Amino acid sequence: MSPYLRALIYSLVIITLLLTITAWSIWFERKFSARMQSRVGPTFYGPFGLLQPVVDGLKLLQKEFLIPESADRALFVLAPPLTVILALGTAAVVPFGPDVMAADLDVGVLYILALGSLTTIPVWIAGWASNNKYSLLGGMRAVAQGISYEIPLALAALVPVILAGSMSLADIVNYQIQHGWFAFWPPGPGFFAFLFFLPASLAEANRIPFDIPEAESELIAGVTTEYTGMGFGLLYLAEYLHTLIVSAVASALFFGGWDGPFLPGLHWMVAKTLVLFAGIFAIRWSLVRFRSDQLMGICWRYLVPIGLGLVMVSAIWVQLAKAGAQ
Amino acid sequence: MSVAGLTMAADVMELLTRRFSANSEPDGPPLVAPEHHLKLVRTLRDEFGYRIFGFVIASHHPATTTDAENLGHIRVVYGLRTVGVDTRLASWQLEVGVGNSVPSMVQLFAGADWQEREQYDLVGIRFEGHPDLRRLMLPEDWKGYPLRKDYAIDTEVAPWR
Amino acid sequence: MEVEVASSAGSASREIPANQHPLSNCPTAKTRRGDPYLDIAAYDPEADLMVLNLGPQHPSTHGVFRLKLYLDGEMIVKAVPFCGYLHRGVEKLCEKLTYVQLVPIFDKNDYVSPMMNEQSLVMAFESLLGVEVPRRARYLRTLLAELQRIASHLLWFGAFAMDLGGALGGGSTLFMYCFRERELILDVFEELTGCRFHYNTHMIGGNRHDIPTGWAAKVHSAIDIIERRLIEYESYLTTNRIYLDRTRGVGVVDADLAMELGITGPILRAAGIDHDLRRDAPYHAYDELEVRVTTATAGDCEARTQIRLAEIRESIRLVRLMIDGIPEGPLGSRKPIKSNLAEKSDRGQAYAAVESPRGELGIYVMGGGANRGASPYRLKIRSPSLHALSCLPYVLPGHVVSDAVAILGSVDPIMGEVDR
Repeated sequence: MSPYLRALIYSLVIITLLLTITAWSIWFERKFSARMQSRVGPTFYGPFGLLQPVVDGLKLLQKEFLIPESADRALFVLAPPLTVILALGTAAVVPFGPDVMAADLDVGVLYILALGSLTTIPVWIAGWASNNKYSLLGGMRAVAQGISYEIPLALAALVPVILAGSMSLADIVNYQIQHGWFAFWPPGPGFFAFLFFLPASLAEANRIPFDIPEAESELIAGVTTEYTGMGFGLLYLAEYLHTLIVSAVASALFFGGWDGPFLPGLHWMVAKTLVLFAGIFAIRWSLVRFRSDQLMGICWRYLVPIGLGLVMVSAIWVQLAKAGAQ
Repeated sequence: MSVAGLTMAADVMELLTRRFSANSEPDGPPLVAPEHHLKLVRTLRDEFGYRIFGFVIASHHPATTTDAENLGHIRVVYGLRTVGVDTRLASWQLEVGVGNSVPSMVQLFAGADWQEREQYDLVGIRFEGHPDLRRLMLPEDWKGYPLRKDYAIDTEVAPWR
Repeated sequence: MEVEVASSAGSASREIPANQHPLSNCPTAKTRRGDPYLDIAAYDPEADLMVLNLGPQHPSTHGVFRLKLYLDGEMIVKAVPFCGYLHRGVEKLCEKLTYVQLVPIFDKNDYVSPMMNEQSLVMAFESLLGVEVPRRARYLRTLLAELQRIASHLLWFGAFAMDLGGALGGGSTLFMYCFRERELILDVFEELTGCRFHYNTHMIGGNRHDIPTGWAAKVHSAIDIIERRLIEYESYLTTNRIYLDRTRGVGVVDADLAMELGITGPILRAAGIDHDLRRDAPYHAYDELEVRVTTATAGDCEARTQIRLAEIRESIRLVRLMIDGIPEGPLGSRKPIKSNLAEKSDRGQAYAAVESPRGELGIYVMGGGANRGASPYRLKIRSPSLHALSCLPYVLPGHVVSDAVAILGSVDPIMGEVDR
């Protein structure tokens, strides 16, 4: 089969599946958070409330997409689809199975980091174009937070790259299959890199405790204040999509991707992704949020220096391993 | 019939009657002349330790005679409290005619800021020396003073917007 | 956690209080007290400051309340609060309704702790009319007040966590837990009075509803559950690094400011002043109980939270002391009232204050009003939340918007009693 056709089919399948999974991840979050709060969650539509995302989607579709009169029309309309596109673009290089990925780029990790940093821009566009002081504040905070946290993200993602010797995610997973998952071996750099990767990616995805851009108790809905209907739906979806992709990338980088006995690789990948996803929800529904200057402080004063240290440690390890192998 | 809750310590009663020539009222705290008001507050705060700001309450007493000049008077009751164990309340009244003003105690107790604004808003008594005397509860452009006795609740002054 | 000394306005080195925004160059931050009368036109001739209206529609202004903030970037230069959105003219209504009719109206002032409103009102009326309250009723009132204090502080705790963390996040989890515990107390109240929330259980001369059988056991079980879970909630929030960063050193209300503004209650005690009306000016049955008062020294949001949690514990202790030993006797000293005009008073003034969860809730009543003396002539509610809110123009400048929400939450205003 022509490689272009193959790539097209895989992309379409992955996009469709991802969007569907994201819609149901909203159901999962509501049920999960409800159980955490001794509530029940959606139960009305469908068994166990499983049709709730469908109903929510329909509701959002039939609402009017209001554009405020003094808002910047083009940018206002551009922002929500842009967030979704960028989040989906990241999914292109995630290895869901030994042969299941849309594109096996040589520079997979770099591609993910690049697109991840681009996701800050539509958030800021939404904040600016809304012509609303709350959105503006949210957008500014999003830019500050997004730019700052790219650095620990990159440093944390560099550790598996250095240890595996390649930026391609498939290569990283293959290396882990042979030498053990990076989160546990070599002991030290991988685990801490994971511990840094997770908060940094939460900050990129604007999740609590880093959800200053949409801090609901302070800024009404922050960046998404002026969005209604499907615009709001897309922004909301993009947030979950980004989180899902981040969990997938983290499980590929640190937890061996599709590695696992008995079951085919795809199942393991999905399982690990969902476990991390649930972990991210548990964090979200347990913690209060930071103030923006404290957030910056954590990034620049703690994460960046320690991240640099981790990169150094993993580089030293690789050299020692090479020297030891000779 | 009773001045319960407003009975004061003996030393404060003595202070009020001797130094500030207050008149005891049968059913209320002692009446002090407006010109002694600020000095009284300062003395109570600094010498007697009444440091917690209590209340400022104005009430409108319309004229009982049909004189054209008698517009009625407004009584303002003040309250201050001591701190800690055996807390006592010191209170006194001022009486001014409607349309006159009373010295503001904002310089001595910052809490008087909002309380005096509220009494101005609702009863219409002006406080001299208040830096920012505007309405607190009602909208800025409200006309009339609702807690006056001649303010009927269903007048046209209070349009429903 | 000590309060820093305010530097004089003319000193060269400027002390930025701990935990203030690092880029703060707000002039009001120099003296550590904002200036409510700052002339914005003079301070900022190019109109660079952004005006942000926090409210009246806002998820965390604790009711309809507008806070107009002048922002330099994200830092607050001047804060102007506007209240009055919930002004319902209760004081004017009091001049029309009779003493007997007023008690249920007053539930709605401080709508989070209705027992306190009712109690201060009937205490003021009883002073004015010279009515005695039997011992059983006084004990029951004390018990109900302490239970109400637990419920109110639980609600505050949940709402505060929501302010810090948002309705879609960790704050709402704690909110749900606190409300679940509060339901236990509301169930107990429903058992007693028939109403979960606005009880109308106090009347002039006593209480209306007597204790049903089995009530004491229910109260015991509710209190036990709350005490156990309180430990969980404290560990949930008060030792969390994020929470400490958000509240330590934020929103310091020092003792002088609090006393000048007439702020009482947890805010004053957090500033270090040992003042509690239950112990210092005992009413109901508090003269027979020993109320242990907690104080803190820092005066910041964290200290206020600590004080309120300690108050919950103290109330739990007091409830346990009282619940099994309520003295027998009549519950009211008057015969059942058949007419609205039953209580009359020609003249006189009275003031009665209770220690509500927010501070000194006082009712001043002047007798001799309409309906041939059956209504008050003037009734004023000295609401603690109004005094507490007036600290905002002094405390907010120098903080950022996120802090404003946390400070507003920790000051615990209830707009029903602010606006009346």
